[in-house]
Amino acid sequence: MVQFHKIALALAFSPRTQALLAEVARLKNLWNAELILIHVGDYGDREKLLLDEFLAGVNLSLDKNVRVCWEQGKPSERILATCKKENVDLLVAGALKQENLVQYYLGTIARKILRKAGCSVLMLTDPSNTPAPFRNIVVNTEDSAYVEDAVRIACAIGLKDKAQWLHVVREIKLYGLTMSASDQHSEAEYEHLRQSLVKDEIETVEKLLKGIPHEGLKVNIKMLAGKSGFELAKFAQRKHADLLVVGASPRRFSLFDRVFPHGLEYIFADMPCNLLVIHPIKNQGTGREVKHG
Amino acid sequence: MVRLSHADVVHLLMQLGIMLIMGRILAEVARKFKQPAVIGEIIAGVLLGPTVLGMIQPEWFDALFPVPSGAGTVLSGMVQVAVVMLLFIAGLEVDLHIVWQQGRQAIATSLFGLIIPFFIGFVFPYLFPEFFGIADIHARLVFALFMGTAMAISALPVIVRILMDLNMFKSRMGLLVVASAMLDDLIGWMIFSVILGMIGKGGGMSVWNTALLTLVFAGLMLTVGRGLLNRFLPWVNRKLAWPGGVLSVSLALCFFAAAFTEYIGIHAIFGAFIMGVALGDSEHFSERAKEIVHQFINNIFAPLFFVSIGLRVNFFTNFDLMLTLTIIFIAFAGKIVGAGMGTRLGGFSWKESLAAGFGMNARGAMEIILGLIALENGLINEKVFVSLVIMALVTSMTSGPLMRWSLTKR
Repeated sequence: MVQFHKIALALAFSPRTQALLAEVARLKNLWNAELILIHVGDYGDREKLLLDEFLAGVNLSLDKNVRVCWEQGKPSERILATCKKENVDLLVAGALKQENLVQYYLGTIARKILRKAGCSVLMLTDPSNTPAPFRNIVVNTEDSAYVEDAVRIACAIGLKDKAQWLHVVREIKLYGLTMSASDQHSEAEYEHLRQSLVKDEIETVEKLLKGIPHEGLKVNIKMLAGKSGFELAKFAQRKHADLLVVGASPRRFSLFDRVFPHGLEYIFADMPCNLLVIHPIKNQGTGREVKHG
Repeated sequence: MVRLSHADVVHLLMQLGIMLIMGRILAEVARKFKQPAVIGEIIAGVLLGPTVLGMIQPEWFDALFPVPSGAGTVLSGMVQVAVVMLLFIAGLEVDLHIVWQQGRQAIATSLFGLIIPFFIGFVFPYLFPEFFGIADIHARLVFALFMGTAMAISALPVIVRILMDLNMFKSRMGLLVVASAMLDDLIGWMIFSVILGMIGKGGGMSVWNTALLTLVFAGLMLTVGRGLLNRFLPWVNRKLAWPGGVLSVSLALCFFAAAFTEYIGIHAIFGAFIMGVALGDSEHFSERAKEIVHQFINNIFAPLFFVSIGLRVNFFTNFDLMLTLTIIFIAFAGKIVGAGMGTRLGGFSWKESLAAGFGMNARGAMEIILGLIALENGLINEKVFVSLVIMALVTSMTSGPLMRWSLTKR
């Protein structure tokens, strides 16, 4: 069973801090994890008092498994450096659903974290003071290095939160079929080819799910055609998902990826719901990535 | 508006009907042999044109395709439009997402697959221009540059079909080959536009001006233009009838872009191609819309264009065995060595690299379009054109079997 042993929260003392703390307290209890609160900026009596109030609000004042790291410097860099130093499994932060054009190209703290994090990141778009479990989860199974980890964690969350639905989505490239087969096959052959392509993809997902515990979860396997990432975000929106789980990109995104968006950048640009970006699960203590299969 | 005579209308309709029927019949024959439709369509043109019908029954040929005639002028205009539309769907097929996904690896493979064939294709015609049948000896550099480009370009649809037949389309190597072919096409068409600018048919601009304009146009279309399309297309999808709305709007945009590039001195095909890339890359241009545009152009305008190739040139009198063999040899050597080396550097085995080289060797329809534009612009003569068409057909027919052979051999 996968486990988040150490969860961190990027703290900013914004109007949403109490709600974020409530959400992270729920996750901490759910995963029985250690919680690290990271704040980059001034640290004085006022901040300490505020934090005490916030912690008391979520019954974490006396919890020995809660620590605070006060940091100075560039927020995104310091948050990520602390996560690395503390060997954090999951970093939680608040993010706006959408950013304006300037923010999009320059990158806000939340998006910088998403693009550069070395651990899994949960971005909460609409945190609540009375957090609810994730009931409608979408997970992406597009071929990527971390797809198995993403599905494993989505299933684990689904089981823990007793989710109503786990939508397992795979994006299928039908344009290749259109380009190559439209003038080479009869209608029946074309349809057969199309269906066998879809069948192959469904089998790939089923094979992936076979090795991952998900008994008791209602699973919906869905194939999507179109621009990778964009269609996934649209599907999550259509299904009113409360959590979208995706594998991280093996390489770091740059400005170029924002000018020519693809895959995850579409999701980062306009988050359809809370977003969980999965980096490989690490072995507790060693910090090494776990290899599956 | 000038009106066609009654006889011209009858002629035009008969020409269109016969071209489409013959194209379809021979495309079906090609299909039986698991070959691309373009091969059958070219053969249909050869049968209907001066090579066969014109030789066996010249009076029938003259009666069907009289020269000069109003019908001929209209048909020629339709073929011109067909070329623009073919380049538009060639652009739609370029999926920049796959290119970015493959990253540096695709760039390396693509550059090797572009530079080496380009170099080999450039050197020989530059050193032996007479052997290669140069049309204008003063345009030696431009001629050699064109031959280099002709050797560097690849046929994406043929490559994709082969990869799908081999069940390798979604494999690591398959995606790399597709991404590299897309980049090759993008760069290849840019180089060709500059060459056309150099021969001065588009208003006689300097090379640097043409190159700069080409780059600026492509850059603007793929950034600002694509951004505007992303704002405009959701409105089209929401408000206009489906699929009529998106079909009319996309083709209108294709013609506007083609007209614009023709006006500023770059060839019309480049505008259509880049508009295709920008539209195809927009997340709001759905797979279904792409499919409809594809079917519409590929099954109506593409056969007209490819059949017209055989009508235009006598493949018998313009066939030069030595020239054809040399061009085929250069094409094979350049692409297999170049693309093979690029793939090998990407960490693939020799066997896989050879397979990638064979795959990228397919030239298909793109080569024929490139050759025809060069012929129309006086850059090559009919003998070179015939050799290029044969090379395109041979490389397209052999790519699949050679790729399969290289992957299955011990």
